[in-house]
Amino acid sequence: MRLVKCWFCSSTIYPGHGIQFVRNDAKIFRFCRSKCHKNFKMKRNPRKVKWTKAYRAAHGKDMTQDKTFEFEKKRNRPERYDRNVTEDTLKAIKKIDKIRSSREAQHINKRLKPNKQKIFKSEVKEIDQNISLIKAPGSYQQDSEKMKVSVSTSKSVQNEAMEE
Amino acid sequence: MISNFWQHQQQQQRTFIQMGTRLKVVDNSGAKEVVCIQSLRGKKGARLGDIIICSVKQGLPEKKKGKYDAVPIGKKFNWKDFIGTGKVRKGNVVYGVVVRAKMQKGRVDGSQVCFDDNAIVILGIKEPKKNYSGGFYQPIGTRVFGPVPHELRLRKQLKILALAQDLV
Repeated sequence: MRLVKCWFCSSTIYPGHGIQFVRNDAKIFRFCRSKCHKNFKMKRNPRKVKWTKAYRAAHGKDMTQDKTFEFEKKRNRPERYDRNVTEDTLKAIKKIDKIRSSREAQHINKRLKPNKQKIFKSEVKEIDQNISLIKAPGSYQQDSEKMKVSVSTSKSVQNEAMEE
Repeated sequence: MISNFWQHQQQQQRTFIQMGTRLKVVDNSGAKEVVCIQSLRGKKGARLGDIIICSVKQGLPEKKKGKYDAVPIGKKFNWKDFIGTGKVRKGNVVYGVVVRAKMQKGRVDGSQVCFDDNAIVILGIKEPKKNYSGGFYQPIGTRVFGPVPHELRLRKQLKILALAQDLV
């Protein structure tokens, strides 16, 4: 049993899923589902179809180079079964998966960060310019004057008391 | 809402090899194209690995008298002028085993395989009033072109597997 990658979208194909297409030059194309198979028959280039991994890698949307990818390699030599090795491998797979997914999320975050700052700045600007949509321009000034008046009266009362 | 054209597209599915299906011949037995007359297995038709009876529609060109018979003195023999006939010619009724089918076939590990075209390898000429029973015919050609599936091993077509360029 071997887990293979879909030729079109690069997702893993589990046993019992998908179709293998053999071309007359003996090249095998594996598809995870009929969606990918149909796109292939339409002669679409996966590098141009937005939802595929090939597009995302080609356009720098997803992380492509990382040491965690080297663990998942196609090995043609069968390993002799060793209980300890199997146990360790299973634990390692889980850990590597966690590390890889957190790194991928970071990569995407980093890519989107400058855009987020830009959005924040523009939103601040918008509030400054368009505050009149929420508060009437006159009322805003009245509020501030009121504040000033209350402070001065209390001070003058105190002063008179002090003087006498 | 679906127009007739799209309806046809959606209903088009890979189908069996049945009477009237044209198949490509991928060995050097002499035939080029063959039409299925009868599938020896299944009511609906033949699939990958099944044996069918077919009639040869196109074969290698017939030998023309005079071209090969005597090479005139002084002229060098040219292989291009030599047109040989194959073991099978147009109009023969033959047995063939399907080595490539456009319709997907399920395998024991759960996967499905499909090929790019419908192709057969010719096993032998059908004698009238004799049925294909008992032993397993082996191909009469000596070369097989293109990829060939494992399913033939189950059908005991071991010679084809040995002659094949690629095994899928």
